[in-house]
Amino acid sequence: MKVAYFSPMPPERTGIADYSGLLAPALGERVDVQVVRRGARRVPRGTDVALYHVGNNAEAHGWIIRALRRNRGVVVLHDFVLHHLIAGLTIARGDTDGYLDAMQRDSGVVGRLIAHGVVDGLLPPVWETRPHEFPLVHSVLDYADGVIVHSRYVEDELRARGFNRPVWRVPMPTWPAPEIEPLSLPREADVVIGCFGNLNPAKRLPQLLRAFADVRSRHPEALLVLAGGILSRHELDLHVTESGLRLDESVLHLGYVEENDIWPLLAACDVLVSLRFPTMGETSGSVVRTLAVGRPLVVSDVGWFSELPDAVAAKVPVDDREVGTLSAFLDLLVSDSALRERMGNAARELAVREHALDHVVDRYVAALEEAAGREEVQSAVYGDVARAAVETGLDGRSRELDDVAASMRELGL
Amino acid sequence: MRIVVCSPQVPFARGGAELLAENLTAELRRRDHDVDLVTMPLKWYPGTRVLTSALLWRLADLREADGRPIERVIATKFPSYAVRHPNKVVWLVHQFRQAYELDGTELGQFGPDPVDRATRRAVHRLDDAALGEARALFAISQNVANRLRTFNGLEAEVLAPPPPELDYRFEENGRFVLSVGRLDRAKRVDLLLRAAAADTSFEVVVAGDGADRGRLEGLARELGLDGRVRFVGRVDDQELARLYATCLAVYYAPVDEDFGFVPYEAFLSEKTVVTTRDAGGPLEIVSDGKTGLVCEPEPAAIAEALSWLGAHSDEARAWARSGKELAERVTWDAVIDRLLGA
Repeated sequence: MKVAYFSPMPPERTGIADYSGLLAPALGERVDVQVVRRGARRVPRGTDVALYHVGNNAEAHGWIIRALRRNRGVVVLHDFVLHHLIAGLTIARGDTDGYLDAMQRDSGVVGRLIAHGVVDGLLPPVWETRPHEFPLVHSVLDYADGVIVHSRYVEDELRARGFNRPVWRVPMPTWPAPEIEPLSLPREADVVIGCFGNLNPAKRLPQLLRAFADVRSRHPEALLVLAGGILSRHELDLHVTESGLRLDESVLHLGYVEENDIWPLLAACDVLVSLRFPTMGETSGSVVRTLAVGRPLVVSDVGWFSELPDAVAAKVPVDDREVGTLSAFLDLLVSDSALRERMGNAARELAVREHALDHVVDRYVAALEEAAGREEVQSAVYGDVARAAVETGLDGRSRELDDVAASMRELGL
Repeated sequence: MRIVVCSPQVPFARGGAELLAENLTAELRRRDHDVDLVTMPLKWYPGTRVLTSALLWRLADLREADGRPIERVIATKFPSYAVRHPNKVVWLVHQFRQAYELDGTELGQFGPDPVDRATRRAVHRLDDAALGEARALFAISQNVANRLRTFNGLEAEVLAPPPPELDYRFEENGRFVLSVGRLDRAKRVDLLLRAAAADTSFEVVVAGDGADRGRLEGLARELGLDGRVRFVGRVDDQELARLYATCLAVYYAPVDEDFGFVPYEAFLSEKTVVTTRDAGGPLEIVSDGKTGLVCEPEPAAIAEALSWLGAHSDEARAWARSGKELAERVTWDAVIDRLLGA
């Protein structure tokens, strides 16, 4: 089976490029994978199925969407909310009609009216204020023969929006955790709490800093390490100061961390925090890496993060008591090394059981095999049914045939 | 309780699965349940036909019959478990094995082309849905339950089926080794014939019929076994009981079999069993040196095992009696309690 593989690839600096850098070679050992060069719009000759990795970023994925619209295929939906992607491909390039249409496809007349308000400058940009309310995912689903997702959350969202073609739930693969020495940090600390990834507003940094300040009042030996890009240094300073903490003393900011440095840094942490709200239906590469190194997690109780087993992650509801709950969880984990060890072991076991690369590749092969021949298989079964219907005098409007269609859907045919 | 037992039927073919469904129906009836056996034909070629067959089961409305509700359906084998019913219990004999562990082997059915691959995956998806929705899942052996866990992530409780009623008895340790069952390649009767060619100390009786019979008869001639091997075809219960009662031992070595009544029948006749390490379900009751002999799937190893049994009839009888104790624990009362209690 020949698979045309559309994705950002290393050395591009995106999580999906890292993902494909891991997956594509492993998948290539099972099926014939042809990685399509960036910018190409056609599938290579002889392709049985095209695979499109889609994330919420027009710069990285715009060319992939253009190719998908020319040649249908299987979409790997790394984010459920694609508002930034679609806005970047339409309104950002002067295609206001395209944006209006996408909003209408998503939310009907109301969507179109809101889009008009945005275009006319009467409303703030939806992609900045409430993209999760208008995910614009239909702009991609309409061209998808099937969708690979990483979570039940996204699968349920797709079904709720009426997507009735196959959905395959495939866990995110873990990078094999190398045998590494923990990174030596510039500050001594008894317990290190890490927070990885771009520190955008959805990562709830102010809440984390306030909770950590509370923990540190009881555990002055604790250290918070922030590893990832920030919107502005000034903003970070402001949040840290507001929390009564001091940058470079109780809080370290290490900026963007190269792939090779992530593992030693993860190994240097005792607890990892990954907060998120609103969720765009994404998974987190740093959370999956954390599972692989066997560290306990504290996450927001939303989307994919909610699906992590309780044995590996403490889940903080996003509500009025968020800071207090987070502080209580961190306090417990900082105080109890045996609990950290138990959760870390459970995390490592989960990584092996669910996220091992060969297991993920198996699931990809299953999805691609099903997708590549599905239309012909369906035609064969439809053909049997249609012949029987014609021979027994049933026509296409017969209610009996509704039952046939429902039965086929129930059996996934 | 008003119950329907569901089992597919390959016209003119008859084996353990058909027997199990018939016996279950009879035993339920004996316990005063209002029960009927529903069958539909199964054809597995071309590949997509298995999906159409499954769809037929889905379309069968077994929620009621003649205006009266059917309270429970018990589905047995692919694709009968595609039937839709709020109280569907599956007692799984086997899935469509060509789409699972036999794929890529000489016993597989689906080739590398995209339609074959997709058909195989469609069977998986169908099984996930149809088995996943069942009120309770039982499997006839640990082997079948393990496959279900490995391939579909579903858990099933093992519920071994009691062997059919026969006039089981021991008469003598004769000179012939008995093979019982449908004749197809997966049963590997050819290994027994080659073993007989390698060791002249025993004779062979092959009871059963099937697509592989012609090839096996040709092989027997080719190996010069005329007079030492008898193909007696399908025999009635009386004759089958007599063959068990008078044989030296029973050979039963299919490839990764789901279950197999044959070892149970042999033990109840106080005859020991020779099987192979890759036989699957039979290994759940045939233990090497305890109830029988388990050897490599090679003619020489099988010949050696059968020859040894011929020379050690006391040990063979003792092992068979141990097997009989195990076989006698498998009863219809226990099975029906679980199937109706779930």
